[in-house]
Formats: sequence, C-alpha cells, structure tokens
Amino acid sequence: MTLQIQNLGRHVGQQWIVRHLNLHVEDGECVALVGPSGCGKSSTLRLIAGLDPVSEGEIILNQKNISHVSAAQRAVGMVFQSYALLPHLSVFANLELGLRVRGVRPSDRQQRIQAMLELVQLQDRADVLPAQLSGGQRQRVALARALLRDPDVYLLDEPMSNLDAQLREELRPELRRLVLDRQKPVIHVTHDQHEAMAIADRIAVLHSGRIQQVATPTELYHLPETLFIAKFIGRPQINCLRPKDGVITAVRPESLFFAKEGLPCKLMSREWLGSSQLLYLESPEGSLRLSCSTSVDIPESLIVSWHRSDEHYFDEDSGRRL
Amino acid sequence: MIIFLLLPALLLLLVVFVVPLFRYAWLSFHADSVITGLIAIPNGGANWLRLLQDLRYWQDLGQTLRFAGVSVGLELILALCIALLLDQRWRGRDVVRTLALIPWALPTTVMALGWRWIFNTPYGPIDHFTKIAGIGSLNILGDPNFAWIATVWADVWKTTPFAALILLAGLQTIPADLYEALRLEGGNALICLRRITLPLLRPYILLALLFRLAQSFGVFDLIQVLTGGGPASTTESIALYAYWNALRFLDFGYSSTIIMASFVLISLICVIAWIGLQVLIPTHPKSRGVIEL
Ligand SMILES: Nc1ncnc2c1ncn2[C@@H]1O[C@H](COP(=O)(O)OP(=O)(O)OP(=O)(O)O)[C@@H](O)[C@H]1O
Ligand SMILES: [Mg+2]
Repeated sequence: MTLQIQNLGRHVGQQWIVRHLNLHVEDGECVALVGPSGCGKSSTLRLIAGLDPVSEGEIILNQKNISHVSAAQRAVGMVFQSYALLPHLSVFANLELGLRVRGVRPSDRQQRIQAMLELVQLQDRADVLPAQLSGGQRQRVALARALLRDPDVYLLDEPMSNLDAQLREELRPELRRLVLDRQKPVIHVTHDQHEAMAIADRIAVLHSGRIQQVATPTELYHLPETLFIAKFIGRPQINCLRPKDGVITAVRPESLFFAKEGLPCKLMSREWLGSSQLLYLESPEGSLRLSCSTSVDIPESLIVSWHRSDEHYFDEDSGRRL
Repeated sequence: MIIFLLLPALLLLLVVFVVPLFRYAWLSFHADSVITGLIAIPNGGANWLRLLQDLRYWQDLGQTLRFAGVSVGLELILALCIALLLDQRWRGRDVVRTLALIPWALPTTVMALGWRWIFNTPYGPIDHFTKIAGIGSLNILGDPNFAWIATVWADVWKTTPFAALILLAGLQTIPADLYEALRLEGGNALICLRRITLPLLRPYILLALLFRLAQSFGVFDLIQVLTGGGPASTTESIALYAYWNALRFLDFGYSSTIIMASFVLISLICVIAWIGLQVLIPTHPKSRGVIEL
C-alpha cells in the first residue's frame, strides 16, 4: 500500500498552481510538505483528496489510478487547516456524521466513536460544541474524524498552525502516535521547519508549485540542492557571502567561530536565545549571522572564520548546488 | 451608560410604535364613529363582542391566513432554490444577481398595476394566450377561484428576491471546507444540504420567514390595487377590512379592535413559526443534548 504521485499538475486559466510533482510515500511513512505561503501545499493536498480536478499526471494509491475518482470514493483522511468541524453539532455528532453517511450501524457507531474519543482523550467532551473546545482539542477532534474514516492515506494540512508553539511541541508525539501507528502513507503540510524535521521521515520542499528536493531532514540540512532550500531550512538563516565569478558561497551561522585570522567584522546587534545567542555582524563580505553558545565571550576585535568543509556553493543564476 | 446611546432609537420606537399601539388598545374599548360624533365613548367589550360575531371578519381572517401561508411558503422554497443557484459559480451570475432584485425594488403599487393589466380580461396578455390556446377567457381577477391565486402570484413575484437575498447572505457565511470535509467522508449534495446548509441557514430562514409572515399578514397595497378586495370580497385581507372600517365607515373604535386582534394574532403566528422551524430543521441529527443555534 503506497501513494505514488507522477508528474501531477493543475492549472487555473493560464497559470500552473502545481506542476511536475513526483512523490512516493510508503506505508507508515510521513512526508512533510514544506514551503513558503502560496507555494501550492494546500493545492497539492486538494488534488490528492480529489477536491480539485487534476490537469495532468497521475495519482496512484495501492496500484490503483485514482486521478479521476470522485472525492467521496477516494478513501483519504484529511485534516483541514481550519479543522472544518460543523459548528452546530456536538463533538460526538461531528464524528458520527461520517459513519452515518457511510452506513455504519448505530450500535457500531456508538462503540467506535467511544473508542476513538478515548484514544484522543476527549471522552468527557463528547457532548460539547466545537466552539467550546480549545484549539488543541479541536485539532484532536478533526484528527479523530480522519482516523474514524480509516482511510488509505492521511493528508494533514497544517494541522497545528493555529496552536501556540508550546502546545505544538506537546502535540507532536501524540500526532505521531495516532497517525503513524496506522501504517498508512501520511503527507503532513507545515510551514514550520522544526515541526517538519521532528515529525517527518522525509521532507519535500515546494517552491512555486514545483518540488525542489525530497530528502531526509539531515540530508536536506547538510546537502541542500538549491540556495532556496539552504535558506529555507535551518534557523537562523544561512549566510550568503558576496558572489564571486557567478558562485555564491553559503555558510551556516552555527559553523562560524571566532578566530585569530579570518574575516574582520563589526558587531551590529545581538539576540539572546537562552541556550545560544545570535550575533548580527557587518563584514566586507556583507552582513553575517553568527550563532554561538551564551557562555562564549565576545572578543574585542571580532574576527570570524569557518571550516572550508562547511561551505556550500551555489550557482548565482540557477541557484543550483555546485 | 448604554441607555443614553439607545435613547434616540428608543424614543423613535416609542413615538412610532408604542404610542399608536396603546392608542389602538385604548380605542378598541371605545365607541368612536360618526354616530358618536367622532368622540370616544367607553363601551366596555362591545367592540370585541362584535368582532367575535362578525362573519366578514372571520372570512377575511381565513383569506389573509391563506394568502400569507401560501405566498410565504412558496417564497421561501423558491428563494432557497434561487439562493442556492446564485451561490454557485457560473458565467453571468453577477448580472443575474442584480437583475433578480428588480421585482423587489419596484414600488408595490406600480407592480400591482402591472399585474392588473397582465391579468386583465379581455385586454391582458394572459387572456389573449388562453384564448389562443383554446381554454377561453378565464377572467382571472373576476373569478373567486383565481383572484386569490393572482394575489399570491404577484406577492411571490415581488418578494421572493428579498427572501433569496437574505438566504444568499446566509449561504455565503458557510465556509466551503465544511462541505469538502463531508464530501471526503462520502457525503453527496443532498446530504450536504440536509446536514450543513439547512441547519446553518436556519437563523436566516427564520429571519426571512418572520419578516415575510408579518408583512404578508398585514398586506394592504398589493390587494387594494390589484383586486380592491374583490370579487365579492373574496381576496379582502384584514388590513383592507380595517381600512374600510376606519376610512370609509369612519368607525375608528371597531377598526382599532380589528387591528389589535391582528397584532395579537401575528405575534402568536410568529412564535408558532419559530417553534415550527426548530422542529422542521433540527440542528442535531441525534437527540443527544439538543443544541441551540
Ligand atoms: N482556485 C484557484 N484559482 C486561482 N488560483 C488559485 C486557486 N487556488 C489556489 N490558487 C493559487 O495557487 C497558489 C497556491 O495556493 P495554496 O493554497 O496551495 O498555497 P499554500 O502553499 O497552501 O499556502 P499557505 O501556506 O498560505 O496555506 C496561490 O498562489 C493561490 O493564489
Ligand atoms: Mg495552505
């Protein structure tokens, strides 16, 4: 059981929203789809779910081409960015509606919903309206609804974007436990790269409707294929030095260190981040970000250096890795 | 001090609503007609007793209820269909949305005159067509079986756009992803209509229903112009009867009694319609903790 996407594309009028999309997701594998706002993440999920028509390419789920199968028949479980819970129905009724539509017997429904509510730890909130739930609880209801569908593929569209950073971190392992245990392909859309790295087995970086690279989090961090990815993955953002002969050299802020010889800099400002600190420097090579431990003293004359092996090179025109 | 902010509006309401209402209530217990020299003389419950025995009043009440019930019912069903259609995406939709409002924008008198001409026998277009079709002259406005249908028809034609506009506004508040989520669960268009559209539209349906019920129960201008209450007062409404009593017979005491009775009745009808709607469109598919919207 796998999800295979081949050369998928959709256009509206003359404009391609998504194009040449190739992706392969195994059972029990979670692929994170990341990219800036408007790059086509939600559009990709909508294509897979069957909510928008496919203009070209194929979606193959379990060896079956579902590109032109209706949304109702696709067996996808989707968690919407907005959760899409019916505001006039209680949590229980929200979960029940899908089962009812699919013709599950009432006694069965009761039992399955009860079990699901226990799984997402919302037993005592069954008769409450969505508006009376917290953001995290709503997210769990939306997830429970997708789980009850028992789909062949899970599509999660920024399921945690409405939550604060702390809650997001708390819910991450829970999400893994609930969804990945099902041993089905999972596509998790997020714009939070930490979340992507923490949850996903592989990350697909989307830019202007095209996938730029699909790789494991470590690969993506150490061997970004394009300058865009190098800038997108890793915080604080990677430093780009002045281009020479059409080549851009990039170095991560955490690879910089103070040295006797190297690039002389001027300290512009400083950010305290708890365990580390971020320095904003001005050098002949342009402005630099340097990240170091807070225990490090900042020397009088700032001279920074880095190891040759930590440099990344990119073509100035195409942005491709050299 | 919210009361100060509301004061201008409350004063206005007092002048145009509360004062006349008390005046009517007061007058309904007085004889005030040409016989008394247009001086209000207390006469106990004589007006009300007369109302109870007034067959013409009961006939008019029945006719008014028939008119209001049929036209509001038709309007809401039609308006819902139109609103659903205008909520879809299709070419020329915006033009149609604008054009659809024209009947509502016309002054009632103007449109009633238009319909009177259309229904006219023997010079109106309908008469012309029925003659060509071999049905012969129907004399719509002169036949008690057709005249009331003509009034309903004209009312539906004029006020459906208004109800459709309210429902369309309601439809646009429903987020598209609710429908998409249900579609992913296997729901078809009919299930979406029943489980999402109607329950979430209920407050808007209620609004349109109450507006239209109150308005059509007090219908005056349309009928006055179209049929004048005829033939043989078979299309006469309560408002028309109250008008006749007040301004033709100059019996203000009895006219006020009719108006007070209508006021009480329409209030009751609105409450019943409100309860009925909750039964008709439950927001909850299961009895588990019925939830109010
Ligand atoms: N129906 C449509 N018609 C025209 N353009 C559309 C349509 N749907 C999406 N787009 C365009 O496609 C692009 C991708 O949109 P999409 O919603 O997939 O972005 P996203 O990556 O999910 O962004 P976000 O992170 O903000 O949710 C946007 O530029 C949007 O304007
Ligand atoms: Mg999106």
